[in-house]
Amino acid sequence: MVVGALYAGCDCYFGYPITPASEVLQDASDLFPKVGRRFVQAESEEAAINMVFGASVAGHRAMTASSGPGISLMQEGVSYMAGAEVPCVVVDIMRAGPGLGNIGPEQGDYNQVVKGGGHGNYRAIVLAPDSVQEMCDLTMRAFDLAFKYRMPTYVLADGVLGQMIEPLQFPQESVRPRIDTSWAVSGTPETRQNLITSIYLDFDLEEELNDRLQDKYRLVRDNEVDVEEYCLDDASLILVAYGISARIARSAVAQARREGIAAGLLRPRTLFPFPERELGRLAERPGTRFVVVEMSNGQLRDDVKLAVQCARPVTLVNRMGGNLISLDMVMDAIRETAGQEQNRG
Amino acid sequence: MDTKCAAEPYPVIFPLECKACGRCIIACPKGVLVMSQEINERGYHYVQYTGEGCIGCANCFYMCPEPGAIEVHIPEKQ
Repeated sequence: MVVGALYAGCDCYFGYPITPASEVLQDASDLFPKVGRRFVQAESEEAAINMVFGASVAGHRAMTASSGPGISLMQEGVSYMAGAEVPCVVVDIMRAGPGLGNIGPEQGDYNQVVKGGGHGNYRAIVLAPDSVQEMCDLTMRAFDLAFKYRMPTYVLADGVLGQMIEPLQFPQESVRPRIDTSWAVSGTPETRQNLITSIYLDFDLEEELNDRLQDKYRLVRDNEVDVEEYCLDDASLILVAYGISARIARSAVAQARREGIAAGLLRPRTLFPFPERELGRLAERPGTRFVVVEMSNGQLRDDVKLAVQCARPVTLVNRMGGNLISLDMVMDAIRETAGQEQNRG
Repeated sequence: MDTKCAAEPYPVIFPLECKACGRCIIACPKGVLVMSQEINERGYHYVQYTGEGCIGCANCFYMCPEPGAIEVHIPEKQ
């Protein structure tokens, strides 16, 4: 992620340690100064996100990383940046919760991160990698998207991905860090006219801001959905999963195909914007059944149900508390769902 | 782990809970804690007590960020 950030021109890292995200902070502390970029370990997550806010207001490409409890602390800052239309990248390496939880992997921050998380009518773009390569590539993309739309962007991973070691192909090109002065406030004569604020005391003006934000989010929805499709062409039993759960789901699809079950996987790489249209189209196939594989209490499952407008059955395969979902568990659910389909038809 | 006699204080580390942050090793004034070469079921190295030299200051206990990873057993003075 640090490699991706550096190649994306990120020039400020402000963070606070928390397992399992501390490796990002540690690598940033090592690499950022080596290439003349700023690194500060803040005194808390709240301080870190506000440092990101300050740097971003001046047009810098700034980022931070944390885990569930730290992301909760950062929500006020993210809301402020959403309201002020300021870009940034926030990494959430999810761990088991709620509360202090433990340092095992979970996907329980979905609702928090995908639905905004802080106060007010806002959303953030959410990218969901499933490999070390994607941790790098999607972090790079996160900066581009954040600055294209001037909004906070999350990269959402989990405790397994956060501490995984895999080969990495470094990006082909890098972005030179440059300050976008068209809207930023960077202490130069050109930017003296700019105003960055999230306060609108006049109710109508505040509503205008909210309308602008909703228009922006419509634009994001129309243009930035990214999914991976695996064996979906003729699939009638569709798994939906992201992150580490998607890797297990992919193995399950392969195994199911060996057993003659027409399974497939839709893996969202963007959780906001959510692949509503893609799921809607799949739901139009007769006899489709969805199986959502996630390490939470069904947060992704709820969005899948919404996307298919509850027109098709959506079942949940889940574990919580830091436990990984086993291949056997997914296979049992697939066989049971496929069996139901046969019994009906 | 052999704790010799109960007259000396000693740390008790629970390998499964340790995440190898190393703060206890840094904090120990007597240098009697080391990182193991093995990894626990969760994939982390864990701290081990060298076996002697603990003075019961409990720096390690206070520095440890993980609840339940390390205890310090201090015998009552008779």
